[in-house]
Amino acid sequence: MRVLLSTILLLASAIRSSSSPLNDPFLGISPQDEKYYKSSSEIKCKDGSKRFTKAQLNDDFCDCADGTDEPGTSACPNGKFYCRNAGHSPLILFSSRVNDGICDCCDGSDEYGGNVTCPNTCWEAGKAARESLKKKIETYRQGLVVRRKDIEQAKVGLEKDAAELKKLKSEEKILKGLVQQLKERKEEIEKVEEKERLQKEKEEKERKDAELAAQPAKENSEEKTDGNEKVEGSTAGEEMPGASHDDDYPDEDTYHDEIGNYKDSPTDEEPAAEAEPTSILEEATHTNPADEHVVDTKKESPSSEDPLTDGSQNDGSTKKESDEVKKVDDLVSEKKEELSKEELGRLVASRWTGEKSDKPAAEADDTPKADDQENHEHTPITPHEVDEDDGFVSDADEDTADEGKYSDHEPEDDSYEEEHRHDSTSSYKSDAEDDLDLSETTTSNPTWLEKIQKTVKSILQAVNLIQTTPVDKLEADRVRKEYDESSSRLNKIQSRVSSLEKKLKQDFGPEKEFYSFHGRCFESKQGKYTYKVCGYKEATQEEGYSKTRLGEWEKFENSYQFMTYTNGDKCWNGPDRSLKIKLRCGLKNELMDVDEPSRCEYAAVLSTPARCLEDKLKELEQKLEKMMSQDQPHSHDEL
Amino acid sequence: MRSLLFVLSLICFASQTALSWKKEEFRSCDQTPFCKRARSRSPGACSLIASDVSIADGDLVAKLLPKIANQSDEEQIKPLVLSLSVYADGIVRLRIDEDHTLNPPKKRFRVPDVVVSEFDEKKIWLQKVATETIAGDAIPSSVIYVSDGYEAVVRHEPFEVFVREKSGDRRRVVSLNSHGLFDFEQLRKKAEGDNWEEKFRTHTDSRPYGSQSISFDVSFYDSSFVYGIPEHATSFALKPTKGPGVEESEPYRLFNLDVFEYDHESPFGLYGSIPFMVSHGKSGKTSGFFWLNAAEMQIDVLANGWDAESGIALPSSESRIDTLWMSEAGIVDTFFFVGPEPKDVVKQYASVTGTSAMPQLFATGYHQCRWNYKDEEDVAQVDSKFDEHDIPYDVLWLDIEHTDGKRYFTWDSALFPNPEEMQKKLAAKGRRMVTIVDPHIKRDDSYFLHKEATQMGYYVKDSSGKDFDGWCWPGSSSYIDMLSPEIREWWGGRFYYKNYVGSTPSLYIWNDMNEPSVFNGPEVTMPRDALHVGGVEHREVHNAYGYYFHMATSDGLVMREEGKDRPFVLSRAIFPGTQRYGAIWTGDNTAEWEHLRVSIPMLLTLGLTGITFSGADIGGFFGNPEPELLVRWYQVGAYYPFFRGHAHHDTKRREPWLFGERNTELMRDAIHTRYTLLPYFYTLFREANVTGVPVVRPLWMEFPQDEATFSNDEAFMVGNALLVQGVYTKGTTHASVYLPGKASWYDLRNEKTYVGGKTYKMDAPEESIPAFQRAGTIIPRKDRFRRSSSQMDNDPYTLVVALNSTQEADGELYIDDGKSFEFRRGSYIHRRFVFSNGVLTSTNLAPPQARLSSQCSIDRIILLGHTSGPKSALVEPLNQKAEIEMGPLRMGGLVASSGTKVLTIRKPGVRVDQDWTVKVL
Repeated sequence: MRVLLSTILLLASAIRSSSSPLNDPFLGISPQDEKYYKSSSEIKCKDGSKRFTKAQLNDDFCDCADGTDEPGTSACPNGKFYCRNAGHSPLILFSSRVNDGICDCCDGSDEYGGNVTCPNTCWEAGKAARESLKKKIETYRQGLVVRRKDIEQAKVGLEKDAAELKKLKSEEKILKGLVQQLKERKEEIEKVEEKERLQKEKEEKERKDAELAAQPAKENSEEKTDGNEKVEGSTAGEEMPGASHDDDYPDEDTYHDEIGNYKDSPTDEEPAAEAEPTSILEEATHTNPADEHVVDTKKESPSSEDPLTDGSQNDGSTKKESDEVKKVDDLVSEKKEELSKEELGRLVASRWTGEKSDKPAAEADDTPKADDQENHEHTPITPHEVDEDDGFVSDADEDTADEGKYSDHEPEDDSYEEEHRHDSTSSYKSDAEDDLDLSETTTSNPTWLEKIQKTVKSILQAVNLIQTTPVDKLEADRVRKEYDESSSRLNKIQSRVSSLEKKLKQDFGPEKEFYSFHGRCFESKQGKYTYKVCGYKEATQEEGYSKTRLGEWEKFENSYQFMTYTNGDKCWNGPDRSLKIKLRCGLKNELMDVDEPSRCEYAAVLSTPARCLEDKLKELEQKLEKMMSQDQPHSHDEL
Repeated sequence: MRSLLFVLSLICFASQTALSWKKEEFRSCDQTPFCKRARSRSPGACSLIASDVSIADGDLVAKLLPKIANQSDEEQIKPLVLSLSVYADGIVRLRIDEDHTLNPPKKRFRVPDVVVSEFDEKKIWLQKVATETIAGDAIPSSVIYVSDGYEAVVRHEPFEVFVREKSGDRRRVVSLNSHGLFDFEQLRKKAEGDNWEEKFRTHTDSRPYGSQSISFDVSFYDSSFVYGIPEHATSFALKPTKGPGVEESEPYRLFNLDVFEYDHESPFGLYGSIPFMVSHGKSGKTSGFFWLNAAEMQIDVLANGWDAESGIALPSSESRIDTLWMSEAGIVDTFFFVGPEPKDVVKQYASVTGTSAMPQLFATGYHQCRWNYKDEEDVAQVDSKFDEHDIPYDVLWLDIEHTDGKRYFTWDSALFPNPEEMQKKLAAKGRRMVTIVDPHIKRDDSYFLHKEATQMGYYVKDSSGKDFDGWCWPGSSSYIDMLSPEIREWWGGRFYYKNYVGSTPSLYIWNDMNEPSVFNGPEVTMPRDALHVGGVEHREVHNAYGYYFHMATSDGLVMREEGKDRPFVLSRAIFPGTQRYGAIWTGDNTAEWEHLRVSIPMLLTLGLTGITFSGADIGGFFGNPEPELLVRWYQVGAYYPFFRGHAHHDTKRREPWLFGERNTELMRDAIHTRYTLLPYFYTLFREANVTGVPVVRPLWMEFPQDEATFSNDEAFMVGNALLVQGVYTKGTTHASVYLPGKASWYDLRNEKTYVGGKTYKMDAPEESIPAFQRAGTIIPRKDRFRRSSSQMDNDPYTLVVALNSTQEADGELYIDDGKSFEFRRGSYIHRRFVFSNGVLTSTNLAPPQARLSSQCSIDRIILLGHTSGPKSALVEPLNQKAEIEMGPLRMGGLVASSGTKVLTIRKPGVRVDQDWTVKVL
């Protein structure tokens, strides 16, 4: 049966290819265009440059610069050839493909010159294309359901976020007032206390001049207790969720400053102090993940409380180190003899490769250019889509052809077939602190604010009652404690407010379909690397304990077909790392095909229901309808 | 350990950020004892005299003896043996070596396999020596016949050799030792206490035979400039390196080196060495001098007056250029070429070292390379993008990362699991693939090639006789000893499909790192005291190492197809004779405008010295070219004989479609320009294959009398018909172009005509660089754009007839099957087109037995500069009329849209393989 069929096709094509193009003067013209050519005996070049006769149409000599006169031959460089491809989809080719010995149209109509015999494969190819299209449509249909669900959830989530924000803001307002009141009260008390103290001092002095020495010690210890309480308070705060995130909270409060100082050193200060030294140091830091240098500075800075001293000390050490670098530099240029033969070889090789040769004897293994090879170590390539196998280079259904990760093309159509999956990939909720929620303090316990209000009220009243000196020690402590707790709580609320505001400003897509990406990470293992992409956050490449930042979240591009991450870790001799992720319709959020097509410019594909668009589905369905409605070749009906 | 690690990483980084070209890692002349010694000698009478002159075996032979017999036996200079031979077409060969009958400690190395065997057939057997006493001399000199116009003189005392014209005032052409700087350090036996070691940086050269250098001066008469001696990144006309009024520089160094990020203006030695210098002067006459020697060489070009103190008076001092040649080892084996036309000199040189191989047609198309196309998917993607953007290309290249751990002849099984299928997919579109194979072999006992080479003893040895172990891409590596014919044969066998698993007939080869590059060797190469077969020291053979490797690989590709397929092998190292084995490129250049500019003098120099199939990496290997630079590079590169885009792995991707639609269009147009001109290029490659005249030529090769062209290295001729001027500066839309000669020139973009002999300010908008067709020439084109050159086989031709003031023009077209060696058996078409008296005639230039036929027609004849307005043409013998109308000067592309219309004979319907005439009515 099969043999018979192909024989028929072969015969058919043989007959066709032997026929001269002159038999069909309208070869290569699309049906919509036929009118243009048939309307008169003199035809205009479409660019208006010239006219040509019917005899000059497809006479294998280019008359019109735009190729109007040679739709069916290769004579014009700018020409386009239309093949009908009955049984499949019509195709428009560069006319340079006509009679070049390569079968481009599945109906073989582009090769009539006798160089080659092209069997008609439209039916098979069309069938495969239709199957694949059907599959794709199915993916889109299911994906669309998931997408709708996601959108619903996004709506709920957003509402929740907005509600929370609103609530927090009002709480913030109230709390702010309370804190202010407490502050005033605290200051009042302290004023009174100060007065008392002075009074006491005076009295003491008058009374017991001789026993002066014992007294201050007691006061000191009192103060110390104060201080301790403060520290305790802040420690408690840190343990609570959200507290560690007020770094950037602009608080002038001295109290807060102290905490800031305490926390900041040494890590935050170090880069600033190191901005001075040459990039050599930075690079050195890079090359050694477990770097000593960092440890050194850490040792230094916490010991000194004064940030100024701290800084200058850092400067000193920096200078010393850059001197060392200089020395090393000299060493390289003059005394390369100190290097072993192998080290020298690696060193010279590294000029071309940019590879760090800092592991001299450590890896005498197979991969001296390890840095470079690493990029290749991904799993073997498996074909992605059935479409590729139809044997036609330029399939009319271009959309279905897998563009691959190197493509700069619009990916909008790529749906992802589950069964071809070859990356180990997963997605999970980010452990990101951004989302630490204050639910405990906020939503689940609606009365906490009231409680505070009550307490504050009672304190204020209570203190009011004992206006006169001496101050009730217990009451004063209560005020102070309440003040500390409330202002710490206020900080937390403010931090949460700002994080919520930031979240709500993000671009979640026209229908908020990307809402679920917030606080979510997608992971893909390729070879020894784990790639991790976190929505609205950052993307990293991890190998064991070493982590390279591929970029910070930047934005969506090309109407949500791409996600970009930029300003990642600096590359040797190259740009800052960046990652561009192509999004395509799939049933699940899955990261795959991470690669580095250009040095330090990464690319990946993320399949997601968010890209299963309704319009696209309709388009695909129409396309399929059109394909199905095409007349099947007669011979096939018989078979 | 930790701190060590830290320091090491610092070392590494510090060295990387330092200046790119590490001058101090390479020897200067002062650090090279033989060079320092030779350069510090003053000109004066030579201490040697020629005696015992006689004729033996058709040569003039003589002994060179010390003028004053030495008293001390120790220091005695032994007589040297001189022989002088004459060859047809004005070639004189002078050889001087030690006298082997006196039992020197070792035979000095004579470079085999460079002079072609046919050269011997050109030898003129000398019958007699005439004598003549040169004015002022005490004793007579010997004079011998060279050709009808020239004779050679061996002056006995002071010893000097020169070639002169016979007639007139017997003008000298080239002379040797006219300044008495000849010096020949003889091999000595090492005595007790002798320490001949030489140290450079961390390396020690044991120098077991002591000093053995040779130096002498060579003078070129009637010379305005000297050219040649590649490979240097410098101007085409060689600047003086020493003498009054010049800032003294290093001599031009000829020592094959792998230089990281080379400078664009330096006499410093690069990857290749061709000790062949050409001189050209105001009278329009050209001469040449070639020293066949593979050891390190240093050459000074001396400024006028450098010898003021010497008291030596030589003829025509005002237009003479003196040069000083110094070599570390070897013998004197020199060739004098009398010219007198520029093309005569290159032909004379080609008759010694061979003409360039006829490339396959595909190799003249566009090559797309990158370090690295990573995997099969990447290859497929790049390939399909060319089609998507309708940009033709012929070859996709794979750099070193395609291998399994830098083991050549293997594939990375994860990245390239199906190499054969990948090649077949490309081949289905008529495209080829090239993979890299370098001479360093990974020292890995489980690697079949290493095992075999070790067992067979095929590696170069170190000075102690063990297999030399150096560092290159794979880490610890050994180097195949290519000096041995047996080993070369074995190496060639590695390319059989059964040995190179995963290779197919559409796979060709790239030889990189064959200087050889040794990362931890002295000056990033092999130690000079390493040993090759027969006890030859590496110092003696260094510059030829890469040549032998190239040869072995090229011969291997011939073997794998049993002599039916022309090889294609790209090499980085070069030596005289390289042209017979394949293409070369100018190595690791940089994405800078100055590197674009210097590519032209570099390619002109290579072409002049025989290596016509050469190119520079389009876009620059290192760094990221801005789109404008990349576009300009494609526009010039489209005229490079070897046209390849390549980039370092740290650079951004730069395939032609990555810079926006407009830039894609511009680069596509540049590549299309090349493809339309392929018939012309192929014809020129054939000319180079037959005669040695290069494809890309300096203007003065076509206009020897036009002094304004002598130092022009921004414009160049492609064949005799096309003049191309590159644009080498950012943001320029104009170019100053000198159009030489008396004939007119037609701007190929708009048919505008310019009178020759003037400098013009030409438009150079972003879509084109200035290019002109010389009046009186005919250029064959193919105007249809295909995916690759393979699909153009049956496409019709366009002839562009550029008429001169007498309404005449001529040109040629060569066609063969584009791949096999059948053309050697006469299977080709060679036509001559002549337009004269209003008739264009096609006649056969091939010998009668030539028997290739072609169905290709000529479907378009463009007439530039035709004075009347003819309406039709009569085609004979068909006795048919063809219409004449106004048509575009160029099909498609950006330039055509400018709307220039030119006189076009429409569809004359004649076949390219037949005789015919087309008469304009």
